[in-house]
Amino acid sequence: MATNRWVATGNYFTSYKDEQRIFLTHFDRLIFCCMLVLVFAWPLFISVSDRTLLVIDNILIAIVAILGLNLLTGFAGLISIGHAAFVGVGAYTLASFSHLLGDRHILITHAWPLMILISGGVGAGFGALVGLPAFRLKHLYLAIATLSFQMIFEWVINFMKFFNQGQTIFVGRVFWFTGKIARKQHYQFWYYVILVVVVIAGFAVRNLLRTRYGRCLVAVRDNDRAADAMGMSPGLTKVYAFALAGFFAGVAGALHAYLYRGVGFESFTLHHSITYLAMAIVGGLGTLVGSFFGPIAIYMLDLLVENLAEYVGHLLPAVMNLSTALRPLTFGLVIVLFLMFEPRGIANWWRIARTYFKLWPFRY
Amino acid sequence: MSYFFQLVVSGIVVGSIYALSALGFVLIYKSSRVLNIAHGQIIAAGAFITYALTVWAGIPIYISFILSLIITFFLAMGVERIFLRRLIGEPIISVIMVTIGLMSIIDGLVYLTPFGTENFSFPEFLPAHPLTVYGVSISWTQMVGVIITAIMIGGFSWFFTKSTLGISMRAVSDDQLASMSVGISIPRVFGLAWATAGLSAAAAGSIIGNITGLNFDTLHAFGIAVFPVVILGGLDSIVGAVVAGIIMGLIQQFAAGYLDGNWGLNGTANVLPYIILLIILLFKPHGLFGTHEIERV
Repeated sequence: MATNRWVATGNYFTSYKDEQRIFLTHFDRLIFCCMLVLVFAWPLFISVSDRTLLVIDNILIAIVAILGLNLLTGFAGLISIGHAAFVGVGAYTLASFSHLLGDRHILITHAWPLMILISGGVGAGFGALVGLPAFRLKHLYLAIATLSFQMIFEWVINFMKFFNQGQTIFVGRVFWFTGKIARKQHYQFWYYVILVVVVIAGFAVRNLLRTRYGRCLVAVRDNDRAADAMGMSPGLTKVYAFALAGFFAGVAGALHAYLYRGVGFESFTLHHSITYLAMAIVGGLGTLVGSFFGPIAIYMLDLLVENLAEYVGHLLPAVMNLSTALRPLTFGLVIVLFLMFEPRGIANWWRIARTYFKLWPFRY
Repeated sequence: MSYFFQLVVSGIVVGSIYALSALGFVLIYKSSRVLNIAHGQIIAAGAFITYALTVWAGIPIYISFILSLIITFFLAMGVERIFLRRLIGEPIISVIMVTIGLMSIIDGLVYLTPFGTENFSFPEFLPAHPLTVYGVSISWTQMVGVIITAIMIGGFSWFFTKSTLGISMRAVSDDQLASMSVGISIPRVFGLAWATAGLSAAAAGSIIGNITGLNFDTLHAFGIAVFPVVILGGLDSIVGAVVAGIIMGLIQQFAAGYLDGNWGLNGTANVLPYIILLIILLFKPHGLFGTHEIERV
């Protein structure tokens, strides 16, 4: 049957290759390309303040980190309560180079794509190291292992002279073909860089899930003994998953360091690890779109709560602690409510919306 | 030599607090397989309730201590009923994340009260000058803390070996299906496990608050510090929690006493437990007394 490649009302797959396509219809591809053009072009037409741009950059960095965490927690089923530490490993790789070579060394200012890759590589190394217990252990114990990695990381940063005991280590401004990136263009320049990284990372994850290894991950998550019987190596698969998550986290960390032009301890605490987990859950574990929705939703919530706290603070000046109280309160409530009523996250709403439009005007 | 014994004594004091904190954690894990990350917040809440009753309501400290145990008992039971009951059978990540969410919610609630930002300390009710034996000194608050811990642990071990409720809780942790068939109500046991955990957490919190003063950060840090203890002792062993608690307390005090300041090291007491934790996870994941899980990867 000749299928319509523009709109599909159901599954008309005739081969496995068909099913593995990234874009099921041309229409999907068209929408995706339009979105891509949109996100790349809007800063040229709309000018926003640096503050807004910084928030957007932060969201994009979080997306890179969450892509890794989702691979680990969503697809491989391994809980990591130390993802911020992996991000920190990436950032501190860059910081150590800056510490050893000076923050305006040519490697840091000119070869920054290389530095980002190196940071990712170091992150992957640490990820594999922390994942080593995965050869023997299952979920719960692994979660505790990542937690202890987080605590050890915090100690190392806080007490080692080399890392400036958690104080900021500066990273110089980078150069592009047009010359040094000035202060005015800084956030916009990094917006584009991070956007490119996000697109590459998104495609990488999507493609990874189509490969033998990607299916291996899901198989190990669903039943590791059955996967073992089918000839996969669950331990090795899990260690690879940790390494991959570490790579994404390391890249995110290096981007964070460049964006803020410095690395400080306070961006990589246990609290941030928990926030990353919350982003992954609110977005939807085990879905690719979830990695995009989660960070956006949590950052939006954060801004909303900040505004609300400010507003209430004007009304009732007596309530001093309200802004510090509201943030964890809403954050916790959002996590709990999502887990209770929508465990599949925002990605599920996306799915429902998509099917609705796909089948319109029919109900099902 | 008296320096050594001084470290031993303070190690036992810290260790017994760890033991009491770990006890509640293990109770919850043992019966319902929930990794309660909010345990530190419950400890802090217990301490604050005791303080509020003692100072703001003016109740004598002994009575307010007992009252706080009772209040936390029912609070923890309510937490289980509202947040965790409907998650029975959900994947492990959901359950862990719910306790993380719970942690955030309690954080927020505490920040609404003065306890979130200010430091308080309990009124003095014991002799201020420490007890000194052969050059080793121990303050009265520490002494009372250790004694209360010992009484609590003794009470719990009596509860689990002799009382019907305690035996039914052990039965549930052993085999849920079999215990259901002999008429044990599993949800009730889960609720009771949380309640007793809350009770022991409140006791631990009040003791810590008496020794170190009431600071929210110090108090809820115990919830994370309890992880190395329970892994060393075995996640589902009550004896393990007590023994490992004291071992961990000793290790920390020795690290602080002998390692810090030498070879450029500092604050080792905070990191050594986690390094030990990782090593144990690699080589002996079920800890000293934990059940050997046959299912492995």
